[in-house]
Amino acid sequence: MIGFLMNSWVARVIPIGMVLLAVQTTLLVELRPFGVSVQIVLAYVAATGAVGGVDRGAIVGFTVGLMYDLAVGTPLGATAVTMALAGYVAGIGRLFRIESHWWILALQSAVGAAVGEAMVPVVRLVIGEASVSPTGLLTVVGVVTAAALVASPVLAPLGRWSLSLQRSEMKLPPEIRAEV
Amino acid sequence: MPLYSAGRRRVIIALALTSALLLTLDLRGNRLFDAARSGFTVALQPFQQAAEVASTPIERLWRAYSDFDAIEEENRVLRAQVDAQRSAEIAAQNAIIENQDLLALNSLESLASYDSVTARLVGQSPTNFDQQVEIDRGSIHGIRVGMPAVNEAGLVGKVTRVAPTSSVIMLVTDPSYAVQVKILSVGGEDPDQVVPGFTTTTAVTEEESFPGADQGAVREEFPIATSTTTTVVLDDRVNLPEVEVIRETGVLRGQGDERLPRVSFVAGNSAFGRIEIGDTVFTAGGSTSLAPPNIPVGRVANVITRAGTAGQELEVALSPDLGRLQFVRVVLYQPPTELQP
Repeated sequence: MIGFLMNSWVARVIPIGMVLLAVQTTLLVELRPFGVSVQIVLAYVAATGAVGGVDRGAIVGFTVGLMYDLAVGTPLGATAVTMALAGYVAGIGRLFRIESHWWILALQSAVGAAVGEAMVPVVRLVIGEASVSPTGLLTVVGVVTAAALVASPVLAPLGRWSLSLQRSEMKLPPEIRAEV
Repeated sequence: MPLYSAGRRRVIIALALTSALLLTLDLRGNRLFDAARSGFTVALQPFQQAAEVASTPIERLWRAYSDFDAIEEENRVLRAQVDAQRSAEIAAQNAIIENQDLLALNSLESLASYDSVTARLVGQSPTNFDQQVEIDRGSIHGIRVGMPAVNEAGLVGKVTRVAPTSSVIMLVTDPSYAVQVKILSVGGEDPDQVVPGFTTTTAVTEEESFPGADQGAVREEFPIATSTTTTVVLDDRVNLPEVEVIRETGVLRGQGDERLPRVSFVAGNSAFGRIEIGDTVFTAGGSTSLAPPNIPVGRVANVITRAGTAGQELEVALSPDLGRLQFVRVVLYQPPTELQP
């Protein structure tokens, strides 16, 4: 049982989540480009979804989102559902490609992070908390998306490692690659 | 595997239902979740301390880069303000002492009546949608959920979460924040001519409606708005015209980081038109209010007239600069209705 847990993704995702949450709640509350707090945890979830696919992305997003709710004090489940969605959306590209180029993974991560961050005020509104002005939301989503795009080359390998995934060794035959 | 396979659908439905269940339980208040939060906060602390040590040089570099011009300009403006305020401060200090003496003589409560705990800010909200800060004092220092936090300039927010050695303060600008306030306005020809040595008469009118009455809101949450007009009749020896001190009460709500908090009234009355930009806003206190009376909140920055019977709203420029908080004082105040018998 213990051996299974140690080898499972949970044993890797939770410590990574703790470290990223610590960075999120210390360094990134001070570094605010355009007044926006960069969401490194969300970017990690999106990158993990991009390399792991929709199921793994959603489950990792949900797990890390719960940790985020516990750490920050937001209603339990509110961030979990948005991060699960971010991981899911980022993982959709995985349905069409076995292994993507780094820049495609970055784009997938950015789209996932954008959807996840945009869903935060929607979820808050649904559970009866306050709304956010549309102009502010555009800036927030823009900065968070850009940060996820930039951080993806670092976070995608981290996500791959946390899910114990191997980089695909499938390559296109040279003659087909030349045609492509 | 297709995007909408049965297995995948089951995973999504299970996650959505779990979220809904957790949200429902948490929003209704659940001690197990509160304990889990406290435990997780304790578990996260070593990680945060390590991250803080590692990130301090980066933070300093960033601040040096991003804040230098703004701080230099601010410093110049502040020096000019300090010169202008020096004489006013002496008069204000004298007035505060006299005011506290009078309140003590009449056994009336003031902010000085309550103990307080001074705390240092150790963190801000990591989300982009909450205005919260974390302080380094908690339940072992006497802090409880709901207590008001102030600084030298005035009201900062209220405590929303307490751990043994840390607490989270929701700032006044948070959209979830609400507090009962009063607006003091000096009517008449020249407000500057109000001087000590006067007699007053007070008339109180009460509005029958309250915010959300048409949606079935509970009245206790929003006590009836009152409008008090105090006529100040100066002694015969002082040869100045008669002035009025207008006192309105309403509910101040945060509007987010980018917008000023607003005071909403219940309905228009004759006195509303006389509230002007620059009038002062204080907490109103009361048996159910989480803040004691007479904490400075700010000044009226804008008067908004809404159509029909919606009444007026005021935008309030806060006294404290919430973007530059370093220390706050948590007033160990609990409303009478919250105290154990």
